[in-house]
Amino acid sequence: MNEATIEPLAGLDTHTATESFGDLYERSFDRVYAYVQSMLHDRAAAEDVTAQAFERAYRKRRSYRPGRGSTEAWLFGIARNAALDELRRRKRRAHLATDPEDLDAQPLDDVAETALRRQTVRAALDTLDPRERELVALKYMAGLSNTEIAKVVGISESNTSTRLNRTITKLREACLDRI
Amino acid sequence: MDRELAVALAAEAPVARPGFKEELRERVDAGFPRERRSWLPSRRKLLPALAVATCAVVAVSVVGLDRSDQHEDVPLSRGGAAEKAPNSTVAPSPTPPPADRSFAPGRERRIERSARLTLQAPGDRLEKVGQEIVNTTERYRGYVLSSSLGTGQDDAGGTYELRVPAGDLRDALRDLGRLGTVRSQSQNGQDVTAGYVSAADRLQAARAERRSLLRRLERAGDQTGAEALRRQLDLNARQVSGLRSQLRELRVRTDYAAVSVTLTSGEDNGGAAGAGGDGLGGALDDALGSLSDSVELLVRALGVAIPVGALALLAWLAARTVRRRRRDAIL
Repeated sequence: MNEATIEPLAGLDTHTATESFGDLYERSFDRVYAYVQSMLHDRAAAEDVTAQAFERAYRKRRSYRPGRGSTEAWLFGIARNAALDELRRRKRRAHLATDPEDLDAQPLDDVAETALRRQTVRAALDTLDPRERELVALKYMAGLSNTEIAKVVGISESNTSTRLNRTITKLREACLDRI
Repeated sequence: MDRELAVALAAEAPVARPGFKEELRERVDAGFPRERRSWLPSRRKLLPALAVATCAVVAVSVVGLDRSDQHEDVPLSRGGAAEKAPNSTVAPSPTPPPADRSFAPGRERRIERSARLTLQAPGDRLEKVGQEIVNTTERYRGYVLSSSLGTGQDDAGGTYELRVPAGDLRDALRDLGRLGTVRSQSQNGQDVTAGYVSAADRLQAARAERRSLLRRLERAGDQTGAEALRRQLDLNARQVSGLRSQLRELRVRTDYAAVSVTLTSGEDNGGAAGAGGDGLGGALDDALGSLSDSVELLVRALGVAIPVGALALLAWLAARTVRRRRRDAIL
């Protein structure tokens, strides 16, 4: 294993003081990917951006300060910036006028009820604006706390709670409309 | 309902394709090797370094300019030892004259020099020191323009306006400095060559005109014409006279340096007057002077660096905010 991987990243984790970057990767990869793809709706771009986010985080790992938030907040902040940069690039190129449907993300063997429920949730998610979808992704797909979300998005914690409540209410109503 | 919704949302989390996590893991283990590494530092490192370098250059330039506006310190000999007075400032050799078509290279430069000297001597020696000031001036073939000396309790001290041949100014100041403790000294020099040359040229022209007028007067046929020429000659004579006085005044001002000596009463902390400034006292004075200069330079540098740094910080914060807003604007 590379020395850089096992290099203790003091303060990188709130749980153990000797967590390596590899540990952080293992712990957060799935959630970072889920968040990035929910932002980009493009599997290939999500892979690129996820890789980019981890590489950026790796190179900037010494700049992490525990006092400024958890490792998750730090990592998701980097991922968010990478995703937003990708969205901006994409907008400039005008390749994707609308979010394409990711066909791979839809398992074909879902049972009917599950499929219907997921279809309802997806449709409800589509009614949200991008900022609301991002909050949902950070909260329910990445599993971040409100404090961490506030750090990532750059708003206050109370504002985060308010926005999340409003978003969930909107989402719930959208789901009920479709049942 | 909320719990169910939360579960449903979590279930909606996209999953990476099989193999991608392992591929990326390999790169993590390898420490994200760079494909090519430029010999140049990254832009993120280069920009702050450039900004700091720019600030430093600006600070040094401004401080340098600021200091060059001042008079340079020169050592002043006292008691045989080179010593710098506490506030000793001396003008550097006057800068080369500005490009002026009236100044011909090779012509003697005319520099108007002046110096100020504050001497301190014990109250009971003021009179003697005052006399020595006059003697020193005369020894250098200078003269005392005005002087006043008080030896009473309240008005102890004096002032001397001296004129010393410009070429002997340095030596004269050195000798005057030996008469007491030098509390401050400054010298100034102003290049008046252009004005001098201009006046000399105009005088030459006026004289040539005078010769011409005289020749025309010799050949004047009628009385009226002769009278007109005489009036012109009168005007010309006044012009020549004015220019000659102007030149004479300039010559005196440049041949002799104006030296103002202020004599104050007080005990000599650095040793007896005339006994020299060697020893611990002199060394301490030198050390304090050097320290004072260093602090002064530091304060000046900070005076430039702090505002520049504050501006750079504000610019950086503004750029960061704008960058963040531009990023977020995509959502």
